[in-house]
Amino acid sequence: MRSEGIERDSSSKGDLIMSEFESLTQAVIKGDIQTALAETRKCVDAGTRVQDILDKGLIAAMDEVGRNFSSGRIFVPQMLRSAKTMQECMIIIKPLFQEGDITTKGKVVIGTVKGDLHDIGKNLVSMMLEGAGFDITDLGVDVPPDKFVKKVQEVGADVVGLSALLSITMPGMPATIEALKASGVRDKVKVVIGGAPVTEKYANEINADSYAPDAASAVVEVKRLLGIS
Amino acid sequence: MAFSDVLTFQPRLKVLSKDQAWSIHNAALEIIEKIGFKMEHADARAMLLDAGCTSSGDDWLKMPSYLVEDALRSAPRQIMLYDQLGNKSMPLTNGNSFYGTGSDTTFTLDLETGERRRCTLQDTANFARLVDGLPNMSFAMSMSNPEDVPVVEDIYVHAFAKMVENSNKPIVFIADSGRDIVKIHGIASAVAGGEEALAEKPFLLNYSEAISPLRFPDYVVDKLIFCARKKIPICLPSGSNCGGGAPITLAGALAMGIAENLVGLVVHQMSGKGAPFLFGPNVSTLDMKSTVVSYGCPEWSLTQAALADMRDEIYGLPIWSYAGASDSKVMDAQAGAEAMFSIITSMLCRANLIHDVGYLEYGNTSSLEMVTMANELVAMSRFFVNGIPVGRETLALDAIERVAKGGPGSIFLMDDHTFEHFMQAQFLPVLLDRSRYDAWLSAGGEDLYRRCNAEAKRILAEHHVEPKPDEVLKEISAILG
Repeated sequence: MRSEGIERDSSSKGDLIMSEFESLTQAVIKGDIQTALAETRKCVDAGTRVQDILDKGLIAAMDEVGRNFSSGRIFVPQMLRSAKTMQECMIIIKPLFQEGDITTKGKVVIGTVKGDLHDIGKNLVSMMLEGAGFDITDLGVDVPPDKFVKKVQEVGADVVGLSALLSITMPGMPATIEALKASGVRDKVKVVIGGAPVTEKYANEINADSYAPDAASAVVEVKRLLGIS
Repeated sequence: MAFSDVLTFQPRLKVLSKDQAWSIHNAALEIIEKIGFKMEHADARAMLLDAGCTSSGDDWLKMPSYLVEDALRSAPRQIMLYDQLGNKSMPLTNGNSFYGTGSDTTFTLDLETGERRRCTLQDTANFARLVDGLPNMSFAMSMSNPEDVPVVEDIYVHAFAKMVENSNKPIVFIADSGRDIVKIHGIASAVAGGEEALAEKPFLLNYSEAISPLRFPDYVVDKLIFCARKKIPICLPSGSNCGGGAPITLAGALAMGIAENLVGLVVHQMSGKGAPFLFGPNVSTLDMKSTVVSYGCPEWSLTQAALADMRDEIYGLPIWSYAGASDSKVMDAQAGAEAMFSIITSMLCRANLIHDVGYLEYGNTSSLEMVTMANELVAMSRFFVNGIPVGRETLALDAIERVAKGGPGSIFLMDDHTFEHFMQAQFLPVLLDRSRYDAWLSAGGEDLYRRCNAEAKRILAEHHVEPKPDEVLKEISAILG
């Protein structure tokens, strides 16, 4: 799908950087994995800065995909295919970054809270955050509070995402927030919660920083909390 | 039909050929034989391994299809649900369709303000009372996930108690695990007059869910085994919705959901041979834009019609189904269209126990008005499905002769034949408005939502529910603690 945004960008005079990554961004937007990989290799071989390939090629493409999705022009499987395309390209460029050199938009630790075994919604959020350029640590399902705390400390997370499908397992959310507080890291992370029975009111009651009703708004909320446009 | 001389054909919907039905069934068997499933319950795993299942050492099992054949043979082909007074109420068998509400919505539309707000226990009470007062609603479910339960672990025990207090119709209930289901069983036994009386005349059915794809957690299997042993009817539909818990294509999602049901059935029949099991997965779709599980899509109606065909062709077990729900946020034209689509098709395919009536917002919000409207849509559908009785009285040749030859002023409206038959010959709507414009306007010019709102209020205010005896209420409050 060719989007208006990209057409405008590529036609603007003197925007050489954009045109340099045009083929790559288009391939990611289309979810054409083979072409995207070939274009990534081409950029690498040409000696392009890897941070530029990431920011101006891959993430720029995913930003466009995100806009297309939000405006209802594409469907979830198309968006996820683009995210998968980006991840495949990342496999090529990741080793080229110096240790600790890679700049991501932020580090997110995510999981379904203790007692709850449902993961479809949480997996979707992970995929979308990753596509938006965040570094994701997915702890899976049935995650006890101390495991969240340990991982937050270990990776130096900026955001913790808590998911629950059942009202009976929702208390795992305040329990995790309490555990973050008790170990002194609550002030260092933003907590976003989501899941079928979760409401904004509940998020306020348990002192979460934000609530996201679906995966797309989870990305918006995380960006908002971290002050990223 | 008393006045019918020839057998009345009753319209019936078929959506699968014999070959399609068997192909889906064979795929389901291939899933459990060749792909396998995750059985996390240690006792059930041991029981299955003992019976011929194989494992590679972990909790992933594969099941030979002869175990499925055995389970299908021993499971009863009819389930009789009684009301809470001990009367036969819902014979779940081929040809019969019964409608009722759904379970845990987070929000409800407030009857007074119309506002979408969090559900409370009083909402569960109101929905149960409304169901009790509506002739075409046959069973109650909680319709809410109340926020005002003192201990959240007991949420389903409190909801069950509320339904018992406010309705005498059968109850389909949710339990969290093997822990709270014991308390709910205790309440039900108190109502029925003891555990044996309850097993003899069950007025309740448990709804539990395996987790798609192919996962059977401890707490789910605990409930399955408990119900099998206590002879409490149960269904175990997984969330095998297309694109979410299951493949995007309907056939694959059906095959996987059925495979999950068959595994559940085997565990169930091994734990209590001959115990009642209501068959069927929930095969809806995951919306490809919003990622909600749709409650107004044509796919779910199609897959449950397919399941009804497979019941007739292969399984012979009564089936679990849904209708009367919508993805709309308010009770508008979309809600009416989607509700009617699933109500009429579920009846045309003779689905047996049909839940979720009254859901809005893809099951996130409940509405008393929506249930009230659906009650009339069910009546409308029943009229349609009853077909056209053909016989001497209904062909009405005598009346035709009388009126045609009767001279000036002779009209059918005046004829005795009309007076004698109009109540059966016509569907007489109550809430669907056919009044003339001026009459409608002078009566307030209200739309269907407002009329359903007034009717729901009237029923809640006027409908009398025979209260449970004091000693039963005392037992219930002791269990609630």
